[in-house]
Amino acid sequence: MHKLILLLGLLFSNLLFASTVDGEPNYTAVIMFVLFVGVTLFITYWASKKTHTAKSFYTAGGDITGLQNGLAISGDFMSAASFLGISGLVYLSGFDGLIYSIGFLIGWPIILLLIAEPLRNLGKYSFSDVVSFRLKQKPIRILAACGSLSTVILYLIAQMVGAGKLIEILFGLPYYSAVMIVGGLMISYVTFGGMLATTWVQIIKAVLLLSGATLMAFLVLYQFEFNINQFFSEAVNIHSKGKNIMAPGGLISDPVSAISLGLALMFGTAGLPHILMRFFTVPDAVEARKSVVYATGFIGYFYILTFIIGFGAIVLVSNNPEYLNDSGALIGNNNMAAIHLSHAVGGDILLGFISAVAFATILAVVSGLTLAGASAISHDLYANAFLTGKNNEKMEMKVSKLATIFLGVLAVFLGILFEEQNVAFMVGLAFAIAATTNFPILILSIYWKNLTTRGAVIGGSAGLLIAILLVILGPVVWVDIFGNNEAIFPYKYPALFSMIVTFIGIWFFSKTDKTKTSIVEKKLFESQYFRSQTGVGIDKSNAH
Amino acid sequence: MQIRDTKEIYQQLKKARIKILVPLIFSTITSYFCFIWVIAFNSKFFGTLIFDTNISIGIFLGFLLILLIFLITLIYVYLANKILEPLINKIQKNA
Repeated sequence: MHKLILLLGLLFSNLLFASTVDGEPNYTAVIMFVLFVGVTLFITYWASKKTHTAKSFYTAGGDITGLQNGLAISGDFMSAASFLGISGLVYLSGFDGLIYSIGFLIGWPIILLLIAEPLRNLGKYSFSDVVSFRLKQKPIRILAACGSLSTVILYLIAQMVGAGKLIEILFGLPYYSAVMIVGGLMISYVTFGGMLATTWVQIIKAVLLLSGATLMAFLVLYQFEFNINQFFSEAVNIHSKGKNIMAPGGLISDPVSAISLGLALMFGTAGLPHILMRFFTVPDAVEARKSVVYATGFIGYFYILTFIIGFGAIVLVSNNPEYLNDSGALIGNNNMAAIHLSHAVGGDILLGFISAVAFATILAVVSGLTLAGASAISHDLYANAFLTGKNNEKMEMKVSKLATIFLGVLAVFLGILFEEQNVAFMVGLAFAIAATTNFPILILSIYWKNLTTRGAVIGGSAGLLIAILLVILGPVVWVDIFGNNEAIFPYKYPALFSMIVTFIGIWFFSKTDKTKTSIVEKKLFESQYFRSQTGVGIDKSNAH
Repeated sequence: MQIRDTKEIYQQLKKARIKILVPLIFSTITSYFCFIWVIAFNSKFFGTLIFDTNISIGIFLGFLLILLIFLITLIYVYLANKILEPLINKIQKNA
């Protein structure tokens, strides 16, 4: 707890020097932010008293309700990147923002229909519990942990860099200290409060973000007396692209990219470890189901709001010199569209509120990611791949806390390292890896009788390597970052190709697997399937 | 007796689940890929304005798709609670 107090002191001293976009300190932002940090640290303190066992650390004791979990899941999903990024994309090119929103949303029915219930019925703490249910622990855990960790770290880098830049603009803090504050707070939430604190931080932030965005959209539409038609015509009149903002622009131009991006978004969501982990915090399959419906509702509603906010910024911000720099672009960058809009419709108070909410959003999302990464290290690698058989929960807890600190420090370090890089492709790559490795091994282990350890390991790792390779050879890294003239692999999104590699690899090496263990693995399928469908045999008890 | 019961109900459960899942998964995947397909091949169509408004077909259908996605999750939970859950409960009681 001493560290926490020290950290708070550091925060206050930093915030005293904090100032906003126009150089004047925004007291609402500072007060809101300090209030948020205070409340969440108090929750962490409360949660730390309840977090003694591995079960409570990874799953918050398993008695989170469907509604709470739905809010927490939507909180994990409504990152600052999607709030500011999608509204910024709408501001820049209109319709194209909707393509991303729908892509992020379409994964949810898939999770609900195919994954949520079997996941809850078969697993304990992480999705690798499910994959290794009848397959060989060690190789499967290592593969699943590789998939989880690469997804988590890529996602973390993107969030950290975004966070540093955002806080730099909002509060006037230097990039380094912004990244370090985020890292420090996230480490304390997760190490002291585990899943319980992380979940509540996520719930509070989801409620704040949904109310803030609702208020903004309301205030925007209020100015047009809720006449949607007039609202859109005004936007078309003002935007430099005119009528084109109502139609698809350059985001997707060929069918291969269309399908590839579609697959990555649709199935990537179903392979994100920090999302999958949330299904173990509810007591049973019924609550797991409920939480997806709530989450889908909240996220869908949120994307409708960001669309209105993006168009609102076109109408109310893009022609107001107060928010533009000398060359006529938005102060900061296009991702600041929502922030400027909050000032345009609600003055300094709403600006302060939304800025604080954006910061809270970053904190909550990186905490969820770090917890998922830490569990991959402590639960999958340490406890089940290397300590096989020796069940030592105390040591596992210790390792998970060390892993959290390690990941937090790594995130800060990588955040500083990648400050000047374009990190937008990293979220895309994270989704591609999740769709290529985590999703296929998870879905096939639940539904395909003939899956064997050999098939899963060879197919899964081949897909993982191909996905990374294709992104490096593709236009984003090979041309934009390495500065070569032409990309070796012509498409931005690798998922279509890497997913084919994974599925064919898994199919071929499972089918040709005639080893003794593979016969046992196939035999175990029936009883596993029975449990996945009925929940007979799961541990429902909540030990408090 | 009980074991046989469980087996029968389990078969029922599997059949019922497939009946619910197939149409829902089919509509999720086709509606989404149709949407993406039009964007890739005929993006001009999505720019057409609806009647004499300033709202394009693309934006209208996009919002509709968001609603449809939510609707699919609602339908599934409704059917699961009504049809699947009683069967699952019976099996759990027998176990």
